[in-house]
Amino acid sequence: MGLLTILKKMKQKEKEMRLLMLGLDNAGKTTILKKFNGEDINTISPTLGFNIKTLEHKGFKLNVWDVGGQKSLRSYWRNYFESTDGLIWVVDSADKRRLLDCREELRGLLKEERLAGATLLVFANKQDLPGALPAEEIRRNLGLDDIKTHHWMIIGCSAVTGENLLYGIDWLIDDIASRIFTMD
Amino acid sequence: MSSSPDKPPANGGGSAQGKKKGGGFLQRQAKKKQTNSNSDHLDSNSDFIDEEELLKKPYISPDDVLKLRSCTESYLCDPEANVFSIDFTRFKIRDIETGTVLFEIAKPPPSEDDEDVEQDEDDTDPNAGRFVRYQFTPQFLKLHTVGATVEFSVGEKPVNSFRMIERHYFGDKLLKSFDFNFGFCIPNSKNTCEHIYEFPKLTPAEMQDMIDHPYKTKSDSFYFVDDKLIMHNKADYAYNGGISAM
Repeated sequence: MGLLTILKKMKQKEKEMRLLMLGLDNAGKTTILKKFNGEDINTISPTLGFNIKTLEHKGFKLNVWDVGGQKSLRSYWRNYFESTDGLIWVVDSADKRRLLDCREELRGLLKEERLAGATLLVFANKQDLPGALPAEEIRRNLGLDDIKTHHWMIIGCSAVTGENLLYGIDWLIDDIASRIFTMD
Repeated sequence: MSSSPDKPPANGGGSAQGKKKGGGFLQRQAKKKQTNSNSDHLDSNSDFIDEEELLKKPYISPDDVLKLRSCTESYLCDPEANVFSIDFTRFKIRDIETGTVLFEIAKPPPSEDDEDVEQDEDDTDPNAGRFVRYQFTPQFLKLHTVGATVEFSVGEKPVNSFRMIERHYFGDKLLKSFDFNFGFCIPNSKNTCEHIYEFPKLTPAEMQDMIDHPYKTKSDSFYFVDDKLIMHNKADYAYNGGISAM
């Protein structure tokens, strides 16, 4: 029995999942995290470290890590890759100027060995803003269809209204569960 | 964990009486009664360890404190052991079911005017900031699901492996042992962690016992960097708020 198998079995027993939420600064990661958990979103400031939430959802214990996206912090992202089951990549759909930046950062992550086993959920956030590109446009711009190494999905959402947050997270959890946990 | 509309924060339900607000006391409270969602060590009563034995050790490890059978009499490390300048700056408890903020306290950002005052406090009691006393109403024991948030800052040095263990006791009865590994912390970072958990199930008799014996409910919070104890904070709790005069 390999180490990975043992680890998977341990995770299965505790039904624990580790989700890592990344993206450029001002993408809305912290707002998504707070909104999803029914917390006030009126006083959010740039994350200069991490925000963690542990919660139970759909019978799983989720550990969600939201790490700051400022350029100076991105070199620290690697410290949080270990044991990640799901990667949530958050995009500011109204920030067209930085879409290339956004694509490059995501591509870098997908090459990371320690993220190789993670399911990818892309949140095309800020759909409530008038200038926001639809999820299909973001999909093209980020070249998501080229991804063959990870299970992935993109979904348009709004952290402010809460639209599609639950849908996205539920998809992610279901995908991870079907990969990692054998059916009871 | 739904995307239901946010409810406005409100105050009520508890108050803290601490000598110096801010220190690690936030943490203690936060981890208060972490229930099912985190590692329990309630079963590991096979080999206990005495506080006296621990004090002889050059440093104290997570395994050591997990063997304690009650709250310690003394602090298991000096305040100076916190060489990473980890500082707890906020604590918040909210009722997940109603969205109500039950308790929130933040350490004011350091200002030059305050420094002298704080220094004086430190001179009088070296353990100020390591202990806090909480007073809650009986209603607090009836909560179902709560979210406990702590916010902490980290000094100039990166922290490779930051772990906290918090143990809550009523007398010698271990109510909850909570263990969470933060892992790496970015230098000069400010971080938050909210644990959303179900309150431990207590029988009506147990609740009454806790209400009748204020401050017999105690907690120890231990913080480790690279498996060495660097901070130790304590708290005690009363649940007779609003009825003590009767």
